[in-house]
Amino acid sequence: MTLAFKSTGSRQLKNSLAKWLITLGGISVLFTLVLIFMYLLYVIKPVFDSAKVEPLSQITLSSTNTSLSTGVDELKEVAYQIDNEGLATFYRLKATDQHSVGSVLLTQRLISEGAQLTHSVNAGLDLLLLIDSNNNNTLVSPDFKATYTADSREIVAKIEYPLGEESLIIDENEATIKKVAFGMDTEKAVFVASTADGRLIKTSFIADDDFTYDPAYEVNFQEIEFYSKTVDDILVTPDLSLAFVKSGNTVSVFELDDEDNVPLKTVIKPKTTITSLALLSGSSSILIGDDKGVISQWFEVAAEGNRDFQEIRTFSNETGEAIKHIYTEQFRKSFYTVTETGVVDIFYTTSEAELWSGKMLTKAPDAFAISPRADAIITILDDSLVLTAVHNEHPEVTWSALWNEVWYEGYQEPDYIWQSTSGTDDFEAKFSLVPISFGTIKAAFYAMLFAVPIAITAAIYTAYFMTPGLRKKVKPTIELMEALPTVILGFLAGLWLAPIVEIYLPAIFLLVLFLPLSTLIAAFAWYNLPKEIKVKIPETLAPIILIPVLLVSLYFAFALSPVVEASLFGGDVRQFITNELGINFDQRNALVVGIAMGFAVIPTIFSMAEDAIFSVPRHLTSGSLALGATQWQTLIKVVLLTASPGIFSALMMGLGRAVGETMIVLMATGNTPILDWSIFQGMRTLAANIAVEMPESEVGSSHYRILFLAAFVLFVFTFVFNTLAEFVRQRLREKYSSL
Amino acid sequence: MISVTPTALADSANKIDLSNLSPEQVALSIDNLNLYYGEKQALQNISMAIPKGQVTAFIGPSGCGKSTLLRCINRMNDLVDICKITGEINLHGENIYGKHVDVAELRRKVGMVFQRPNPFPKSIYENVVYGLRIKGENNRRVLDEAVEKSLKSAALWNEVKDRLHESALGLSGGQQQRLVIARAIAIQPEVLLLDEPTSALDPISTLTIEELINDLKEQFTVVIVTHNMQQAARVSDQTAFMYMGDLIEYADTNTLFTTPAKKKTEDYITGRYG
Repeated sequence: MTLAFKSTGSRQLKNSLAKWLITLGGISVLFTLVLIFMYLLYVIKPVFDSAKVEPLSQITLSSTNTSLSTGVDELKEVAYQIDNEGLATFYRLKATDQHSVGSVLLTQRLISEGAQLTHSVNAGLDLLLLIDSNNNNTLVSPDFKATYTADSREIVAKIEYPLGEESLIIDENEATIKKVAFGMDTEKAVFVASTADGRLIKTSFIADDDFTYDPAYEVNFQEIEFYSKTVDDILVTPDLSLAFVKSGNTVSVFELDDEDNVPLKTVIKPKTTITSLALLSGSSSILIGDDKGVISQWFEVAAEGNRDFQEIRTFSNETGEAIKHIYTEQFRKSFYTVTETGVVDIFYTTSEAELWSGKMLTKAPDAFAISPRADAIITILDDSLVLTAVHNEHPEVTWSALWNEVWYEGYQEPDYIWQSTSGTDDFEAKFSLVPISFGTIKAAFYAMLFAVPIAITAAIYTAYFMTPGLRKKVKPTIELMEALPTVILGFLAGLWLAPIVEIYLPAIFLLVLFLPLSTLIAAFAWYNLPKEIKVKIPETLAPIILIPVLLVSLYFAFALSPVVEASLFGGDVRQFITNELGINFDQRNALVVGIAMGFAVIPTIFSMAEDAIFSVPRHLTSGSLALGATQWQTLIKVVLLTASPGIFSALMMGLGRAVGETMIVLMATGNTPILDWSIFQGMRTLAANIAVEMPESEVGSSHYRILFLAAFVLFVFTFVFNTLAEFVRQRLREKYSSL
Repeated sequence: MISVTPTALADSANKIDLSNLSPEQVALSIDNLNLYYGEKQALQNISMAIPKGQVTAFIGPSGCGKSTLLRCINRMNDLVDICKITGEINLHGENIYGKHVDVAELRRKVGMVFQRPNPFPKSIYENVVYGLRIKGENNRRVLDEAVEKSLKSAALWNEVKDRLHESALGLSGGQQQRLVIARAIAIQPEVLLLDEPTSALDPISTLTIEELINDLKEQFTVVIVTHNMQQAARVSDQTAFMYMGDLIEYADTNTLFTTPAKKKTEDYITGRYG
């Protein structure tokens, strides 16, 4: 009795242990899946967050003079103010052991005492042209250097003079300068100014060597022909190629590259009252603000032989108040607008997003600056300096920018473009997921086009017609193909198959015709063969007769290829396709991918479909045959019908594999993210895109997060496919479940 | 509910003289039929005449070749690759193993019902009209009529008339087997082969099928293989006893079961082996 009890106990223990272990396994699989999902969402989410704005610190300035310029260091620890008496004052924004917030680091007089600062013009980060009432022009650069003591970090503020402390001669006639703008790189500084005597001038300071270590230069004075004597505003692009001169409601664009002549390039005439102008980062776009609170973006668009500025898109600050100032970020396409009443709006051009809007100040600030890392803005109004943090890491991404057409700078029209990186910093990133999602579908489509007919017919033949002896050999052989690493398939496809397909292109299309035709002819011949000969060939070997037939047709296709090429396509199919049909031809194209990925997908589809067909009970086929159905009728009406859930899931598995496949598409396509169904063009798929770009994306950047989004989209793709497939399969199974 | 009367035994009016059949009375004649599975001979020199409008039963121990013989009649053995046949089976005086015989056409004349119910995974309606459809019949009225007639003949109409378009797989085993019979008779065969039609069914379904067989012989010649001697006795007019591929004795059922001519037959029906 006790013995029996003991054994029951241990058995029960094993039983419940097994139960718990299996439950644990199941739950942890689900948990992992959910975790992956959650992690993807966690990485993606910040991309869609709108900008957040929060005040960081506020200090009261010691100088009560009107402020003209301000700025802050990279870590937002020290800010400077330049007032109308030419005093530059540096304030601490962060308390240290010895110093409190708002304490002054350095005060430096930039112009002679008693003079008034008339202009303080900004070009790029912390580069200022100062003009005083004595017509002294100096270029200054407030500089912040970090020094390290044993346990602390100290900012040392300094004023640098990139072109020397001497007054720069901008106008050779030394007239009073009314409006001025400038740009400077390491080799050249270009000033465009309007003078009190009504001239518009351009002055170039050409470095003898390089401004970074030698301020010596030569000067070239030019006068610009301009119709008007009144100039309201001047802008010079940072690449020193264009100057925008506003007079009334017209903006004239001049080309600055030529040192002998300053030609008028074009004239922009927006149908509004212009209240402010600004250059968007990247030297391509100009932003025009008007009195109704509308900002329009203009850039050059190639049209009918010439390039002209066009209004691309507009933004509106909802209040309808005039735009007093537009401030643009240094490296991104974000810009800030300020109205007279102190309403600040943050926009991003590419994504057409209004990121933030609010009344930040009581009225328009005296000085406004964006921090070097674009993570804060600094404003001075009267004697109060406010540093406001702007959390705005991913302004370039919105749902619509990812999936809709966007008009990018320099493009002729709105388009779907994926181009995540480029050589320059001020490049406009183009994150449209449409071309790469399309590429995924295109690659899968061509792979399925190649794989499905072969895999399904092979499965039908193997399961339904083949002798059991041969089936036992054929099935594992095809299934073994699945074990082939896809990197090898991709490698072969890219380096071996692609050139062959290119050279023998007609052969590939001839094969589509030849292979089925030769098979049919061989079948017909076999059918009409005298029975005496047929009996001598063992049934197992009969299908093998087809192999030489296929080889012969393969040989003929390739042998005929040059002949066909010469007679029908004028000797070169590639040229024919490109010139006569107007279709671009890539060597690594959808045809190659279709064949290579088709090979990877065939074993998956074949194996599952074959199982499904083979497991159709014999008594069903017998039942059909006994009713006078032919083999073929039985196959179509009973076997395939009964096996349909299995065949369907085989197709879906194949599709899932084709969608997720990475190595083949990575190696056998040109990875060109284009939207084109053409079989002669390449594509870039979601999976390949992640593989290609993950190593070069900065962790936490928008690009990085969008790659995660691409992964998420891929996940959703397969999830939707599989769910749909499972749903359909369940329905079919309910309907056709066999006995 | 169902009364069991061994009709064949009781009904002596049906009795015919097997050894002396007129050509009109013969549905099928089997002459010197030999069948080999590879090297092994499964049927040895079988000759017999199956009378029209009667139920003929094949009995015998497992592996005696009774099912193989049955499957020869509609050439289902063709599906087995290693099978070789000599001799003749004549239907209307034409050898079904002749050169120009269309096997599909033959099977339409010689219907077959298998051991296990094998309805297709389709609706009841589509199951019944399957044979008509593959012949190319798509006229709705013709099909509807055929369905009603066949299902009534198979004694299934009353049970399924309200759910003709539901899946046939929802029927019980006995109903499925009657559906399969309805499917077989929908194409109006001359001969109906039943290969142990009740071996997978419960006793009550078995009785229903047996009664059905008795009704079917009004319209068709029925050949039934059964391992159940009582069943053979109950439903058949003639019985053939086979043993090890040989036709041992072939007589009217009453005679065979009451006064068998051969020792082997007697041993089998008295339960010495089997």
